[in-house]
Amino acid sequence: MSVLLRVENATMRFGGLVALNDVSFSIDKGSVLAVIGPNGAGKSTLFNVVTGVYRPTSGKVVFDGADITGKPSYEVVERGIGRTFQSSRLFSDLSVLDNVIIGMHTRTTTGVLDALFRPGKSRREMAACVEKAEALLKSGSGDLFEQRYRPAGALAQADRRRLEIARALASEPKLLLLDEPSVGMDETETQALIADIVRLRDVHLELSVILIEHDMQVVEAFPDHVMCIDYGSRIAEGDFAAVRANPRVQEAYLGKAAAHA
Amino acid sequence: MHAPASSVAPGTGQAIAFTVLSQLAGAAFLYFVLKAEGGWQIVGLLALLGAGFYLLERLPWITDYAMASMARVPLVTFATAAVVVLGFPFVVGSNTYVLHLLIVAQLYAVLALALNFQLGSANIPNFATGASYGIGAYVSALLAINFGLSFWLTLPLAALAATLFGFVIGIPSMRTRDTYLALVTIAFGVVVQQLLNNFDWTGGPNGLVGIPAPSLFGHSFADPLVVFGWKLPSQANFYYLSAALVVVAIITAHRLHGSRIGLAWNALRADEIAAKAQGINVAWYKVLAFAVDAFLAAFAGTIYAFYVSYISPDNFTFLVSVTIMTMVIVGGMDNIFGVIVGAFLLTILPEKLRAFADYRLLFFGVVIIGFLMIRPQGLFPQRMRRYGGEP
Repeated sequence: MSVLLRVENATMRFGGLVALNDVSFSIDKGSVLAVIGPNGAGKSTLFNVVTGVYRPTSGKVVFDGADITGKPSYEVVERGIGRTFQSSRLFSDLSVLDNVIIGMHTRTTTGVLDALFRPGKSRREMAACVEKAEALLKSGSGDLFEQRYRPAGALAQADRRRLEIARALASEPKLLLLDEPSVGMDETETQALIADIVRLRDVHLELSVILIEHDMQVVEAFPDHVMCIDYGSRIAEGDFAAVRANPRVQEAYLGKAAAHA
Repeated sequence: MHAPASSVAPGTGQAIAFTVLSQLAGAAFLYFVLKAEGGWQIVGLLALLGAGFYLLERLPWITDYAMASMARVPLVTFATAAVVVLGFPFVVGSNTYVLHLLIVAQLYAVLALALNFQLGSANIPNFATGASYGIGAYVSALLAINFGLSFWLTLPLAALAATLFGFVIGIPSMRTRDTYLALVTIAFGVVVQQLLNNFDWTGGPNGLVGIPAPSLFGHSFADPLVVFGWKLPSQANFYYLSAALVVVAIITAHRLHGSRIGLAWNALRADEIAAKAQGINVAWYKVLAFAVDAFLAAFAGTIYAFYVSYISPDNFTFLVSVTIMTMVIVGGMDNIFGVIVGAFLLTILPEKLRAFADYRLLFFGVVIIGFLMIRPQGLFPQRMRRYGGEP
């Protein structure tokens, strides 16, 4: 297995606050990494450092053999990292379909001059996008396809999460970053989400996924590689059973007294 | 009439009847507004318009029905529109004042469509459209006066110069947002107007005089236009020229809106961080919106300069930019038809309200606020893209 993403000694400081403290890890092609940790531990900051929203104070991000540290996020997407946001950031006044088509921005090429003087080319590209987007909406759980002409802002919470994933997949990523995809989902919807991720990996054998999760059901479904972060530092890494048994992890989640009880 | 279903599908016959009749009715309404004299006639027509928009707001299926009808018989729609636009001067006859109003309204429609790329599609508050308009007018006028270039040559050159200006304002705009961006554009607009006022080679406050009338195939635009024995006043030349420019602007707007560029603008309007996460180079797309805006505004400026043959810095003040912005907001952000309606309404209304003498501007404000109360999203709000799917 070859390494797809390697983060080396990433540190992110905001003034006096250390959001990430010397975090290193790597993920192989075609594997899933689950990142857990209490609220405010630095998990989302880690995503923001990887996707170029923040430039790390120090450290390095290497993706697919290239150093992408501090590269602007639009370039990072083009290289093959798609992501979702913890508080879903959909284009709420646009239709579900448009949201997915916008996700294909890096895989389409029409420029202003093409749009103006070669309308046929532009229209064909859009038609192909519509077809691909509809296929993506059909492939996940839920009935997003039936709702494709509704404004994204009108969707129910679970559908919003699903749409974010569909939009991230539209960029044909090699690495998919999911920031708490199960937030706001009930039991059935969470199971459907797990099935979606499993199916996705069956179809795209090369696809790697990094999951930030609080729901241990989801983490348990992808138990091979789990990392726990607390106060910006990596405190444990390994398979799910090992991480769960780690006293520092228990301390982070339950507090010192409870962990030693 | 039975309760309308949410999906209204007109038959072909119905669709043809609807598109033809609705466009003729719209043209007739415009004609009556232009011809109306005296306060009461205007008030009556405005009340009728207000009632119409009230119905549209209350019964949204009317809009759906209209869109479905026009989409069903596009050729009939375009043919009717062409007949209405081409025939209008013949109906107006020798009334040069009405023709003048129509020319100005059409030029403002182009300016509003230009600004719509920014304000409507990308939510960039640009208060410098008036400046781009002025740059277009001055560059073409200077080229024509000093170098004897023909109108047709100055048209693209002025547009290029204004596009460069658009890039120049666009670059600081990459670093600022919202209110601060608005301030940057206001500053640019004021600077341009002051420069035009203070330079010697722009004629200073006196402006430029004696811009030669354009000609086409030996026909000078200063001469009356004779078509099949009908003699139209010379303004008709510029009426058709500006109508052609409106068509160009509509096609430009339509093609960009329907492409991935329009989508990228809409994305950054909704959420810049999410737009970046989709691979959209937000800074570049903002600059692009400035450039496209300036390009189209310069076309309007060139036609304006050659039409009135005399321009001065007073034609391109900050107030012009504010007016254009109001047109986009009142007409409907990111809706091509709405923006054009907004431009016509805001050009023609103040002229027609002269009957109210000193209360003109007060009445104008009241009317605009009234329309926005009836249609808070603008007269014709933005619509979802359909991609040939059922509504």
